[in-house]
Amino acid sequence: MVQQFQEIGRDLYVGGLISSHGGNISVRLGDRVVIKRRGAMLGRLKPHDLIETGLEKNDSGVALASTELLIHRTVYMRTPALAIVHCHPRTAIAFSLSRDEIVPIDNEASYLLKKVPVLSEEFPSGTQEMADTLANALQAYKIVVMRGHGSFATGQTLDEAFHWSSTLEESCDIALDAKLIGESFIEYRRMSEAYGKW
Amino acid sequence: MNGWFGRVLDIDLSSACIKTLPLDEQIAHLFIGGRGLGARLLWDAVKPGVEPLAPENVLIFATGPVTASGYQTSNRFTVTTKSPLTGTIMDANSGGFWGMQLKKAGYDALIVRGRAAQPTYIEITLAGISLRDASHLWGQRVLATSAALGQNDNRRNVLCIGPAGENLSRIAAIMNDGRRSLARGGPGAVMGSKNLKAIVVEGKDRPGIQDQERFKFLLYESRKMLRASPLTSQALPEFGTAVMMNIVNRIGALPTRNFTQSQFEDAEAISGETLTDKYLVKNASCWACPIGCTRISKTDKIESEGPEFETTWAFGAQCGVNDLAAIIEANHLCNELGLDTISAGSTIACAMELTERGLLASDVRFGRADLFAPTLEAMAARRGIGNELAEGSARLAKKYGAPELSMSVKGLEMPAYDPRGMQGQGLLYATSNRGACHMRGNMLGLEVLGLPKLIDRFQVQGKASFVNLHQNSSAAIDSLIVCKFTNLAVADEYLARVLTAVTGVPYSTGELIRTGERIWNLERLYNLREGFTRADDTLPPRLLNEPVASGPSQGWVSKLDPMLKEYYRTRGWDEQGVPRRKKLDELSLSNLVNSEQ
Repeated sequence: MVQQFQEIGRDLYVGGLISSHGGNISVRLGDRVVIKRRGAMLGRLKPHDLIETGLEKNDSGVALASTELLIHRTVYMRTPALAIVHCHPRTAIAFSLSRDEIVPIDNEASYLLKKVPVLSEEFPSGTQEMADTLANALQAYKIVVMRGHGSFATGQTLDEAFHWSSTLEESCDIALDAKLIGESFIEYRRMSEAYGKW
Repeated sequence: MNGWFGRVLDIDLSSACIKTLPLDEQIAHLFIGGRGLGARLLWDAVKPGVEPLAPENVLIFATGPVTASGYQTSNRFTVTTKSPLTGTIMDANSGGFWGMQLKKAGYDALIVRGRAAQPTYIEITLAGISLRDASHLWGQRVLATSAALGQNDNRRNVLCIGPAGENLSRIAAIMNDGRRSLARGGPGAVMGSKNLKAIVVEGKDRPGIQDQERFKFLLYESRKMLRASPLTSQALPEFGTAVMMNIVNRIGALPTRNFTQSQFEDAEAISGETLTDKYLVKNASCWACPIGCTRISKTDKIESEGPEFETTWAFGAQCGVNDLAAIIEANHLCNELGLDTISAGSTIACAMELTERGLLASDVRFGRADLFAPTLEAMAARRGIGNELAEGSARLAKKYGAPELSMSVKGLEMPAYDPRGMQGQGLLYATSNRGACHMRGNMLGLEVLGLPKLIDRFQVQGKASFVNLHQNSSAAIDSLIVCKFTNLAVADEYLARVLTAVTGVPYSTGELIRTGERIWNLERLYNLREGFTRADDTLPPRLLNEPVASGPSQGWVSKLDPMLKEYYRTRGWDEQGVPRRKKLDELSLSNLVNSEQ
C-alpha cells in the first residue's frame, strides 16, 4: 500500500501533473479511506504520510487528512470507485478556462476518454457543493476537470486513475500543439461528432 | 417501454393454464432483467422451505432489455430456480440463440410452474402457445430431442433436458441449441421434476430502442474495444476459453487431483494451444458475438462443440487426466446426457480420492479417463455407483464419511482456480450466493490478467472491496444481459450507456453497479430466508488448512477469515452476514423484508 502511494505520487510529480505540494490520492478499503496527509508532498511520501479514516464516520485520522477528504468520501459513496487521483494538469486546466468540455482529438484519448466534462463551482475546493457536483459527474465519467483547479480521476486502483489523468494531459498537450500549428484539421475518426455527446 | 416488452408468460403445467402478465415497470427498472428479474420474480413465486423438486418450485427463464438488441453478445438468457443441489437461489445463463428467440417472441420472462401429468413440451410459435405431448421424446438424448423438435429449422430454437434431468440428477443441466447449457446447480432436474422435456421458441419481433443514433455509436465503440483487446480479439478466438489452462497453471493456481495440488504436470497436453493444434475443426459463435470463443472439435470418435476451459480442467487436471481426446468425448457425453460438466468432473474427482483413500469401493481412480463414459452414463441413469454420484460431490463425500473431500461451497463444486493462489477468488467462492462460482465476479481479471490493472493475488487486506464491486458488477451484467467476455474489454461505463440508450432510463455507471448490489442483496435475503448462515460462507477445510506443497503458491492457504469480516463490513451487513436495515433502505429492498414479518 505504501509503495503504491509512493510510486504514483512520485510519477505525478515527475510527470509534471502537480506542483511540489499539490494534488492528492486516495484508495477505498471497504468502509475506510486511506488518503495522503495534509501538506505532504506527493512526490516524496513517507509511510506516516498515509492517513486512514472512516468512509462515513470521522475518527482521529481526519485531523491529519487532506483538505479534500470530503470530496473523496462523497465520490466513494456515490460511485463504484476504489481509487481517486486528483492532480493539476496545466494544459487541461488552461483549456478548462475557456471550455465546458474537453473532447480529445488524438486517437488514444478518444478511445479511452471520449469526452471530459469541465465543471464549475464558486468555491472549487473542499466544499460539499463541489463534492456533490464532482461525485455526480463521476457517476458517468472516469475523469472530470474542475475549472481552474484540476482533474479528478477514478479507478479500481491508483494505477488506473493515474492512467486517465496522464492520458488527459497528453491529449490536451496534443490539442494545444495542433492549435499552435494552426493548420486545418482533417477528421480521421468515424462518428467523431458522437464523442461530444458521450 | 423500450428494451422491455412489458410481458411475462406464465405457464402452469399442473392446470395447463397459460397466461400473459404485465411486467411491473418499477421492478424492471430496479432489477433490469435476466438474473435480477429472475431473482425478484422467484422471491414472490416460491415460498420459503419449498422442496426444489416439488411442483411448487418454478423455473423462470428471463431475458434482459439488451437481449436481441443487436449489441455485441446480446444473445443471452438466464434460468432462475431454487437449486436441488444447494438449496440456494440459483441462476444459470447461456448464450446461443434460444434467448434471443424468446425475446423476439415478445416476452421478457417465462415462468413455468407445477408439474405436468405426463411428459410435455411447450411450443411458443408465431401461431400461438401450446403444451404438447413429449412421451415419444422421454428418454431421448439432447441432440435427438433437439432435432426432433426442429432445432435445425431457421427460426426455431429448442431448449431441452436429457436423461440426467429426467432422472432428477442434482447436477443436471438444461441444454439449448443442442449443445449449450444452463448448467450449474441442477436446473435440469427441476425441469425433469415438472415432466417438462423441452421448450421450443420462435419469434420475429425486436424490442424498441430508445436512442438509435446513440446506440449505433456505442456499438461502434464497443466493437473497437473488443478488437483492441488481445483477449477478445486473439486469445479467445484462437484458443477458446481453454487459453486459461497454461496461464493459471503457470502461477500455481490450477487445482489438480481434487485440489491436492495446485499445478498439473501435464497442463500443456490439455491446454487451449493443444486443443487448437490437434482437435479444432473451426470456431463458432453465439448470435451477435464478434468474439467467437466456441470450439468445434473432433476426435477419432466424435465431432462436438467445446470443451470449455472449466470442462477441460474438471475432467483433466482435477481428475489427473492428460488425454484431451477423452476429455472432449466426456464433454460431448455430458452435453448429450444433460449434465453440468464442472460438477460432473469434480464429483468424479471426489470419487477418485474417496477410492484412493479406501473409503469407496470403485474403479474410478485418478488418471482413469477410460471410465468417464460408463460413469457418466451411470450418473445420468442413476444406476449403481452413478446413482450416488448423481447427487453431487457434497452428498457423495458425506455418505462415505469424508465430507471434507468435497471441493464445494454450499454444495456447488468449485471451478478451476485454487483459492490458495488467488486470495480474492477464495472470498468470491465463499460468498457467492449460488455456491462456489467464478462467474460472480472477475477476480481472475484483477489477480491474474491485469484487467483493468494487476493487483497482488496473495494480498488479503482490501480484497473485500474488489470482490464486493465485482460481484455487484457481475449481477448487473447478468441482468442486461450480455456475455462476461465482452466485459473483459468493454467497461461497465459503456454498458450503463448501452442500457440507457436502449431503454431511455438514465443509468449512470454508479446506478448500474448499485442495481447489481440490489440484486446481490436480494439473493442474499433469499438464502437467509432458506436458513443459510455465516457458517455457509466458507471453503473446504483443505483450502483453509493445507498449505500448497510446491510451485509458485507454495506455503499458502486461503486466509478467508479476515477477508470475510472485511467483506461483511464493506457490504453493510452485520457480523453474521445479515444486511442491515440501513443497507436495505438504501437499496429499496426493505419492503420485501417487511412483507415477510
